[in-house]
Amino acid sequence: MEVTPTASITNAQLTSKAGLEGSIIGSYAMLHGRGGFYAGSTNWLWGSVLGAEANKGTNSGDQAQVNEIQAYNPQTTNNSVFEKYSACYEGVARVNSFLRLLPDADPTVEEEDKTRMEAEAKFLRGHYYFELKKIFNNAPYVDETKDYKEGVEDATNGSDLWPMIVADFTFAWDNLPETQGAPGRANKWAAGAYLAKALLFQKKWAEAKALFDNIIANGKTAKGEKYGLVPLYGDLFRVANDNNKESVFAIQAAAATGTINNANPDFVLNFTYNGGPAGCCGFFQPSFELANSFRTASGLPLLDGSYTAPANELKTDQLVPAATAFVPDTGPIDPRLDHSVGRRGLPYLDHGLHPGVAWIRDQNYGGPYAPKKFIWTKAEESSGGVDKSSWTPGYTAINVAIIRFADVLLMAAEAEVELGNLEKAREYVNMVRTRASNPAGFVMNGGAPAANYVINIYATAWTDATLARNAVRFERKLELSGEGHRFFDLVRWGVAATTLNAYLAYERTKVSASPFLGASFEAGKAEYMPIPQVEMDILKGLTQNPGY
Amino acid sequence: MIMKELYRRLSLSLALLLMLSSTVLAQERMVSGTVKDENGDGMPGVNILVKGTASGTASDADGKFNLSVPSNDAVLVFTFIGYGTKEVSVGSRTVVDEVLVPDQTSLDEVIVTGYSVESRREVTGAVSSVKASDLTVVPTGNIEQQLQGRVAGVTVVTNGQPGSTSQIRVRGFGAFGGNEPLYIVDGLPVGSTEFLNPDDIETTTVLKDAAAASIYGARAANGVIVYTTKKGVKGGKTLRVSLDVLGGFTDPGEGIDIMNPADHAKWTWKAFENTGFNAGEPPVYTHPQFGTGSTPQIPDYLLVGSQSGVNGTLDLAAEREKYNVTDFSKDIYQVTTPAEGSGTNWYDAITRTAPLFRGTLGISGNSDKSRYYIGIGVQEQAGILNYQNFRRYSLRVNTEFDLLKNLRLGENVQFTYRQVRLLQGAGGGSGSSDDENDILTAFRMPTIIPIYDEFGGYAGTRAAGFNNPGNPVANLDRQKDNRGFASSGFGNVYLEFEPVPDLVLRSSIGGNFNSFYTWSYFARTYENSENNSAVTYNEGAGQVFGWTFTNTANWKKTFDDHSLDVLVGQEALNTGEGRNMGGQGLNPFSEDRDFVTLSTTTPGSTRTVGSNYFKGVNFTSYFGRINYGFKDKYLVSFVLRRDGSSRFGSENRWGTFPAGSVGWRISEENFLQGSSWIDDLKIRGGYGVMGNSNNVDPNNQYFLYATGVDPASYPIDNSSAAEGYYRSRIGNSAAKWEKAITMNIGFDGSFFNSKLDVVIDFWRKDTEDLLFQVPITVLNGPNATPPFVNVGEMLNRGVDLQILTRGKIANSDYELTVNGGFLHNEIVALNEGATYLQIADADPDFRGIRPIRNQLGQSISSFFGYKVMGLFQSTEEVNAAATQDGAAPGRFRYQDINGDGEITVDDRTWLGSPVPKFTGGITFKIKNFRNFDLEMYMFTSLGNKIFNMSKWYTDFYPSFTGAAIAQRVTGSWTPENGGNSIPIFENNSNFSTNTQSNSYYVEDGSYFRFQNITIGYNLPVATLSRMSLEKLRLFVGLNNIFTITDYDGLDPSVGGDVDFRYGIDIGNFPITRSFTFGLNLGF
Repeated sequence: MEVTPTASITNAQLTSKAGLEGSIIGSYAMLHGRGGFYAGSTNWLWGSVLGAEANKGTNSGDQAQVNEIQAYNPQTTNNSVFEKYSACYEGVARVNSFLRLLPDADPTVEEEDKTRMEAEAKFLRGHYYFELKKIFNNAPYVDETKDYKEGVEDATNGSDLWPMIVADFTFAWDNLPETQGAPGRANKWAAGAYLAKALLFQKKWAEAKALFDNIIANGKTAKGEKYGLVPLYGDLFRVANDNNKESVFAIQAAAATGTINNANPDFVLNFTYNGGPAGCCGFFQPSFELANSFRTASGLPLLDGSYTAPANELKTDQLVPAATAFVPDTGPIDPRLDHSVGRRGLPYLDHGLHPGVAWIRDQNYGGPYAPKKFIWTKAEESSGGVDKSSWTPGYTAINVAIIRFADVLLMAAEAEVELGNLEKAREYVNMVRTRASNPAGFVMNGGAPAANYVINIYATAWTDATLARNAVRFERKLELSGEGHRFFDLVRWGVAATTLNAYLAYERTKVSASPFLGASFEAGKAEYMPIPQVEMDILKGLTQNPGY
Repeated sequence: MIMKELYRRLSLSLALLLMLSSTVLAQERMVSGTVKDENGDGMPGVNILVKGTASGTASDADGKFNLSVPSNDAVLVFTFIGYGTKEVSVGSRTVVDEVLVPDQTSLDEVIVTGYSVESRREVTGAVSSVKASDLTVVPTGNIEQQLQGRVAGVTVVTNGQPGSTSQIRVRGFGAFGGNEPLYIVDGLPVGSTEFLNPDDIETTTVLKDAAAASIYGARAANGVIVYTTKKGVKGGKTLRVSLDVLGGFTDPGEGIDIMNPADHAKWTWKAFENTGFNAGEPPVYTHPQFGTGSTPQIPDYLLVGSQSGVNGTLDLAAEREKYNVTDFSKDIYQVTTPAEGSGTNWYDAITRTAPLFRGTLGISGNSDKSRYYIGIGVQEQAGILNYQNFRRYSLRVNTEFDLLKNLRLGENVQFTYRQVRLLQGAGGGSGSSDDENDILTAFRMPTIIPIYDEFGGYAGTRAAGFNNPGNPVANLDRQKDNRGFASSGFGNVYLEFEPVPDLVLRSSIGGNFNSFYTWSYFARTYENSENNSAVTYNEGAGQVFGWTFTNTANWKKTFDDHSLDVLVGQEALNTGEGRNMGGQGLNPFSEDRDFVTLSTTTPGSTRTVGSNYFKGVNFTSYFGRINYGFKDKYLVSFVLRRDGSSRFGSENRWGTFPAGSVGWRISEENFLQGSSWIDDLKIRGGYGVMGNSNNVDPNNQYFLYATGVDPASYPIDNSSAAEGYYRSRIGNSAAKWEKAITMNIGFDGSFFNSKLDVVIDFWRKDTEDLLFQVPITVLNGPNATPPFVNVGEMLNRGVDLQILTRGKIANSDYELTVNGGFLHNEIVALNEGATYLQIADADPDFRGIRPIRNQLGQSISSFFGYKVMGLFQSTEEVNAAATQDGAAPGRFRYQDINGDGEITVDDRTWLGSPVPKFTGGITFKIKNFRNFDLEMYMFTSLGNKIFNMSKWYTDFYPSFTGAAIAQRVTGSWTPENGGNSIPIFENNSNFSTNTQSNSYYVEDGSYFRFQNITIGYNLPVATLSRMSLEKLRLFVGLNNIFTITDYDGLDPSVGGDVDFRYGIDIGNFPITRSFTFGLNLGF
């Protein structure tokens, strides 16, 4: 009558070193989300689309549940919202499960390993709660002391997650080694950077600055390489440069590992349509607003917002048929544009010139642009950087940085501005701009720069804090676009409503079947996603976020 | 006929018993005689009693008998199961020869309940049986499909794919999953009966309530379907041969109407205009094919190389030089011209007239001490979808030997080879209706796209502007070499021993094995907008073995007015232990079928392999039943079964399932004896408990962790997957059996000299302690399977009725049978605080539409969403109405159910149930009009709704912008013409257009189908005897002749993957018209 289970493991079998290590690996695994298109830590929807860097793209009916999200008005039953929420808690649960195993570790497991593993686990839990904090704000908290029928059912929300996030990152910062055996593991400096980011989000400028100073001076990657900026901006998004010296903490991606879930499953839809690499599915189309932001004057961005003025807008091929000739914009632009936004007439990596509407699924809905970061190259395809074991080859081995050193510099710059150290901030910003202005990194076409790239550093001393603040923030937009940060920045800066309503009004005029018809950003509500209805129904102690 | 003879040997033993117990009286004298059947053959085992006494005898193997009678006044009563009882006065005769004729009364039919055999007259539970001939007339491969409409209270959910798994529900839906009945074949429980050859079936019996079924205890809650296969019979001819051949063709019928190329272009423009209208802007006309002007232009070429929508003339010879659809290292280069006129009819292109053939050679016979039946069956049935095919070869050998006078050894065994090709949909084809399959694709492909390009390659949506349907003709062509087949063996060996005349001891050991092998090729594609980028090859295999060991003792005794039938038994079984494995590889050097194996695919980590191992579930059971009858008038039955199962933890492993029933043959009472119109009338009542554990995983009792490359690996070294672990299951060791408590009151009546038979059952089934996964918060980790716990209750109640009338028209016997069942299904209780079932499986998502909710007070799998009141006619109406996201003229106006002035999730409501309120069938037979016979069969399903999700794909412009448009969109709302049913065709996907589940998709699914008419011609006896034949019947039939329905989709027979995806129509595979002919030959 007793039939023992097959192909599974009992708790007791996992307390060996291998079992504990595997439990940590399982906790890292949730960085990829593992199912759906919105669950992973890339935050292309939650950070970048909501941050006005792109729209959903494709056509209006495809993944239509995202329409209400990008219109800042999700239903509480929205499945994609639940998908992200759920994946974060799977990450949390895996960490908690590991932490419950740890006290029973086999005696042969060395203390040093136990400490390191505990610190990695807590780093990851810090990460998953940071995601929940950014996206849901009032998400409930459970740690390893609570489990099924042991307290989880009584979970409530509303108490601030920051102390717990800070405590986990602090533990990791105090206990992780500087270098790790595998490049994908969090090390001490990654923990420090994430801790500093958490402090920055709480506007604890001085504490953050102290950490940033230490990291910028002494930080190194898990491989032991001192942090620095890679010389060419475009190299950040190449498989060959995974875990470069700028990679503070990254989602490790690899092709042909036996599952597409290790090859950026979040991005599978985010390729051009009907041609070009992968050929599917036309999502994540950069916005007019973002593309225009790369307009420069005297090599500097138009901090006054005039980049959307008709005189400054980029020329686009919107409504230009494929057969009609089109000459791309010839005005001055930041060279990072053509690493970030795919546009007609410019080389689309090594796939030839982007042909415009032919690769766009519904231009009248999503606009003329295509995503460009995290798109694979033909060279990568032929060298095994693309996982082709599934329905489209939209799975890549390109790592996605959760924190990269340029981000650290710009976060440090923010702290410096708020602490009044404007020149230090300018120094950091100029480090980032100097790298971007390296002509060797320009997109080339026929041996010459593919467009009129004009970029300079801020040569004049910053004396006005507002100007400095604007410059730092604008630099984050240009440097980190499409990398899942912008919306959270806008919210923590308190400018989400004004910025995004202006964006909606502007973008709305650009395509006739605009996804933003009737959309608006309601301050006090739209900053956060609703707690998923199904969880509200199960956990009676939860309170819904305001406005939902 | 054969069915009745089967029981001669049983009757023989009973009669022997009677003979031995008879008392010899003083004035007695002997009479002798011969009993013959309607064919003039001697009938062995006929029970002959002297009326009013206990003395009697039974006929011998030649039908002869000797019996002493007390006086000339003696009356002899001849009885034999399935034959009319005959009373004969002896008078002064010493030789009494009699001919018995088969009984016309269905109350005399034999009921095989698995462990025992009873006459319907004795039955006190709810039992239905179906004649084998009723089943074989339906030209399908699977016997369960043939039950539809034949048994009151049985729902058959199926579709038109040959070899598709059908889903049977007996008396509703007792639980949230695992509602399939228990199948018993020749006494052995089996998970699926699709291996059986319909021509081999002797009897089919459905046990519906606890009184009938709880002898199967823990596994009986969903009803039990008992099949026996044909056996050799004692006596009569020593060798009989039958040949049954059925052939025919299935016609695919018509698809749904899709716009022709010109209308497609016109309505694309209309979408731009409507989009502009609702944006308050002039329309923007732009399309990669139809240009940018205010009138759409059909281009000269859909595709030339990488250019779409090309106008002008081409030098085709020069283009042919550039043509490339084979070398993927270079750019694909095709030239495609638009399809003209009405364009491509994609449904026609993927379907065909499909031949079918079924033949069975049956050989049965006997010798002094042995009996045998051999059945050799072949079924070849093509599906209407290109390349779809079902094939089954079966060999059945049933034998029985008399080792001693009172010891029999027998066996029943079948070996089957089964192959099903290109089945669409999950669950063995049962999920086809909610599947995005090639049937749906045929309605998503614009008619303007031709099947082939200019140079013979496939054409498709590589030509821009038509979104992403893939060429379904190409898709099917490429799968034509994919195969999957299974070989299985099923059977048992038994010993029957009668140590004393009243007692039969029986021991049976049975088993079944099943092994399967599959391989499939997926080619690189080039013609579509979204193409496969690799050649993929899959191969898989598996095997499973299960066994059953049963021991029973059956004691039957009749003394004076009392009859007693006692059965006790023990059973142990394993549902099947086995392993499966599968591998996948990419991009073999050559796609030559002779070359490709897993080993010749690209080496390295893209070559993957997986396997799984399962041990099956162990059951141990003890059971007993007592049937007691007094004067054949008062009948009482009590059943008790106790089961233990490894599905449950030790604390609740065992369950006890009692049932009791009584019957009163009121027609035997004196006050009704004078009634001229009542032949027989019985009132039955039963109450009992049955169990169910199908719905719980055997691992439910454990907390488990798992590894797996998909859920938990991670390339921590940035190159290869490191193994990760995660919690995969939260355990509940306290789970116990689901209990189905049934109550049944039934009437069996036969009236007007057997011209009218009526069987009515009023029943109620309350399922308690329902096992389901009470939703737990994702804070536990959503990848861990939540435990099944016992909460919740479901109610099913209904009325089953069978009415049969028979008589004569024009000297021919006719028979009209109506079977029907009313069903009410309701979820009565759920976990505390929950108003609906909050588990992911119960809330399936179809392209963002979630049409199903299992809610308290509603039926299982009910449709849920916003109720459409109509379409907004104007901006003024929008402004005056409740606030609704995305509201605009021409769009859905939802009902503000709670009246709070705002349409929110709280305004969703019940849109109908997929569960029919009534299903039934009508059979009309004329048996012998001269040498012809005729049978007609009609089926109806009433009161159910269908969620026609296929409209989402074809009726809304933004669902997949540019894909095909249904013809009915021409009746959609426009600013000029208004309209109030089909919404505005525009490029907007929002809450008020196509993103929500709402009543627009819900249609009445009731239908009536004239399912079969068969006309047979029997060669006259004289001709037959010249040919030394016993029987030769030729027949022709038409199936699915017409269907009366309001349903808009392809076919109202929309089942789908019950129990949680019931009645969703996305790519439902239609049941279409077929023509059959064949012969039945016997000698």
